[in-house]
Amino acid sequence: MSRETASDGLVERVAAVDLGVLQVPIGLLAVAVLLRPVIAHDLVLGYPQIASSILIWMLIVASFNVLMGYTGLLSFGHAMFMGIGTYSVAIGLSSFEVPFVLAAPVGILISGTIAYLIGRLIAHKGEIYFAMLTLAFAKSAHFLANYDPGGLTGGTTGLADNTLPAWIETSRGFTYVTLGGGRLEWYWFVAGAFVVGMLLMWQLVRSPFGRTLVAIRENETLARAMGVDVRRYKVWAFTFASAFAAFGGVLLEVNNQGATLSELSIITSGDIIIMAVLGGANYFFGPLAGTFVWMFVEEYLADFHTLVLPLTEVPLVTVEVSGLLVYWQFFLGLLFVIAVLISPREGIFGLFKTVGERLVGRVRGERE
Amino acid sequence: MSGDATRESEAETREHGDATREPREDPRSAALGTEGLSKHFGGVVAVDDVNLTVPRGEMRAIIGPNGAGKTTLFNVVTNALEPTAGSVYLDGEEITAVSQERRPHIGLARSFQSNELFAELTVLENVRIVVQTASAGPFAFDLLGDGRAVHEDEAREILDHVGLRAHADTEARNLSHGDQRRLGIAMAIATEPSVLLLDEPTSGMGPGESRETVELIQSVQEEMGLTVLMIEHDMEIVLSVSDRITVLNQGEVLATGTPEAIQGDETVQEAYLGGMREEL
Repeated sequence: MSRETASDGLVERVAAVDLGVLQVPIGLLAVAVLLRPVIAHDLVLGYPQIASSILIWMLIVASFNVLMGYTGLLSFGHAMFMGIGTYSVAIGLSSFEVPFVLAAPVGILISGTIAYLIGRLIAHKGEIYFAMLTLAFAKSAHFLANYDPGGLTGGTTGLADNTLPAWIETSRGFTYVTLGGGRLEWYWFVAGAFVVGMLLMWQLVRSPFGRTLVAIRENETLARAMGVDVRRYKVWAFTFASAFAAFGGVLLEVNNQGATLSELSIITSGDIIIMAVLGGANYFFGPLAGTFVWMFVEEYLADFHTLVLPLTEVPLVTVEVSGLLVYWQFFLGLLFVIAVLISPREGIFGLFKTVGERLVGRVRGERE
Repeated sequence: MSGDATRESEAETREHGDATREPREDPRSAALGTEGLSKHFGGVVAVDDVNLTVPRGEMRAIIGPNGAGKTTLFNVVTNALEPTAGSVYLDGEEITAVSQERRPHIGLARSFQSNELFAELTVLENVRIVVQTASAGPFAFDLLGDGRAVHEDEAREILDHVGLRAHADTEARNLSHGDQRRLGIAMAIATEPSVLLLDEPTSGMGPGESRETVELIQSVQEEMGLTVLMIEHDMEIVLSVSDRITVLNQGEVLATGTPEAIQGDETVQEAYLGGMREEL
């Protein structure tokens, strides 16, 4: 009896905690700190290598959501702005011996500048035309990198030689950052960059500037009639989102040890859209959830050849599933379709939030 | 309106036969003026050479049958649509070339015929964003601080004023139709206008709600010293609240005058009010 009361009290207390303004920073820290140990656990993946990739992609997909979720702009070319960051660093290191600390900010600046110029050109176009034009620009960038102008981009093979900064060390499948004699695992470097980048994005969307973006998403006609220069806000949202994508792209260069054409591909842009929508474009953490599910499922199922039922220890039935699971994208695609049909802006995060709130509501209701 | 005044205006109508053709006033002398304002859609003339002179503090009703170009006139005056020809003046200054998003910042605001809202945001946030915009200008790099807290107090005051205080945290889309109309007015007021264009503020409201809304508009007008142009279909409201009425028909101004003069105008009766003669 007393134990029951205690546990109810705990649930109620957890449910009643209002972290206020700290909610998002704490959530981001938790993601950064917990992601690796969780997926490295034997019951999950059993190895941690993919964790840094997931964090970087979370950052990139979240930057896309500044456009889609907060401003209501659908871009089919977000990978291009990420890829500009990746290629800037790769080209800088391999062709010009520019140090990473210089190449990275320059890459972000180039990405932002190109986004600003393209934004000035197309931000006032209607939804469909804007989407089509971003697609066209992304195609051109892919073509250009494939063409290998001046031997800079490496064409179809991309850039792999001499693309790592001097302070990166790899040994036994792990990457380390060596700074001032100390040695830090690459994951923790990424985790730090992730938290900083995400916090900056969060401030962007919660600021008065960000609230105006939301107003534009909600009703462009009304925003304009109330005195909002919709076009300029869209141009700058596009610029900021692209700069953040390039920030992710820069990290990706080190993480993947070079640049490949797929980083500029419109397929990658499509994956980014799917991850954002799957996770829930309405939420700041939605893209993070979507990225995690998408990448985790890909990795998990890649190793999944035989299904042993009911338990590995008690093999009664063994099913060969590798033939089926190579179609993992098909199944996730199906999940995506269902998510969009049910509620296009809620996604996985929205679903869990709703379920969570109902449970909390029930607990509270029972107590009263 | 006193009986004397009515009789006087009736007498005037009889005397001139055509009392509503007032001599052309200078549009620069008024709070809002238009000169030869026209809007063509291909071959269709939606607004045809409209000259308006609305003095400061006036309540002007714009009436006319469906398709007369009333909303298009508002769209052209606010530059939501670019005029084909003509000029717009605000407080004596020509503003024809001023962009739509600049106009609320120089004192020209509007509400919409349909309920245009930031639907998924709270009522408070709807108004707060407008107050923020009014204070920061059409564009600002306001990247610091919590946006939801900026100008929150001013926004709440406006909600108090229009009677939406209790709904501050309701999502705008969940308001009743009448409250959504009121929110539209609240947002227009939040731009701190000197000239306010209201597009059918009472449409879809019951008689009681309509009266409340009209009283709200009148009290706001008095307090802020507003000049109001109001498109309205309810003739009872039009005749009781407006200082003057402008009748539009097929994009043209058919007549402008006091409610009494308009009621007595033969052209108006023939072209537009024909069926409503008994009602008037």
